[in-house]
Amino acid sequence: MPEWLNILLRSIGLFFLTLLLVRLIGKRQTSRLTFFDLITGIVTGVMAAAVSLNLIKDLANGLIALAVWTVFPALIYVLSIKYKTVRDIVQGKETVLINHGKVLEDKLLEARLTPEDLLSRLRKKNVFNFADVEFAVLEPTGEVSTLLKKDKQPLTAKTLGINVGQESVPQTVMLDGIIMDEPLTAMGLNRRWLHTELEKVGVAPENVFIGQVDSVGQLYLDLFDDTIQVPKPKTKELAYATMKKCQADCELYALGTKQPEAKKMYEKSSEILSEVIQELEPLLKR
Amino acid sequence: MTISAQVRQTLASLKGVQATLETFASSEENQEAKAILRRNTQRINHVVRDMEKRLSVLEFEEPQYKGF
Repeated sequence: MPEWLNILLRSIGLFFLTLLLVRLIGKRQTSRLTFFDLITGIVTGVMAAAVSLNLIKDLANGLIALAVWTVFPALIYVLSIKYKTVRDIVQGKETVLINHGKVLEDKLLEARLTPEDLLSRLRKKNVFNFADVEFAVLEPTGEVSTLLKKDKQPLTAKTLGINVGQESVPQTVMLDGIIMDEPLTAMGLNRRWLHTELEKVGVAPENVFIGQVDSVGQLYLDLFDDTIQVPKPKTKELAYATMKKCQADCELYALGTKQPEAKKMYEKSSEILSEVIQELEPLLKR
Repeated sequence: MTISAQVRQTLASLKGVQATLETFASSEENQEAKAILRRNTQRINHVVRDMEKRLSVLEFEEPQYKGF
């Protein structure tokens, strides 16, 4: 058998064999590669290349080595799922680099990180001042995760103490001028409703690029013709403003009337309305 | 505008809001939000009823403006 044919056959055979063996190792995500994953990957790759290029004359020898380097990692992964000690050895533990805002130099040395490395990794996490970090760990994959100090963390509605309304996912009811019946019926709506809404804003159905309905049944549109300004649905804001006006009216009447019982009635109404406004504010305004 | 006409206007706006909230409640899928909307339409309904009573008194006092 000529040399080139030998290499061709070996290459083809090994191509499919490695494909199979790699599947055997399992589908751990390549984006979360630990050092061990990297080594097994390189070793199997190099070995497959060496065997297919006929650098290792005896095919059986090459295949045995290849089998060991794929079966063992697969075995170890299975074991590491079951036992934590195996997991710690194979995948490595995370190393705490910054604790309570102080950089732990000995841990840095342990992880073979220079201070410049630490700073550059923090910068990648958008932290330019190490003093902003309360806690940082080096993950087994080599990434640095950071917890910022409380006063440097992004604002949330909770830290501000604001009540926000729950919002369900908007349904896409029109795409490319085509009405999607399934999401429409899921919202309890139909084509006729959609046509009425489109007529209200004065838009032809075939001009709609995207149409979405939010949880309270308001229609948001994007048109093919970008020169047309589509009015944004204002029903929520309007309802909120009207309620506020009614509440103010009640207060005004309470001041204006001379009859004590009417005054009491108006005052009570205004009170109820202000409670209603308070409760509905998160739903209607945000 | 007389008082009764003003009250009538407020009443109309209130009823409008009530109807809007009811439509929101019927199409809202989040159960919590739905409950809040339902509860508050009920509250507005109380106010509407009180105001209607007051309106009939006002109309009785100013019969010349009835129906405006």
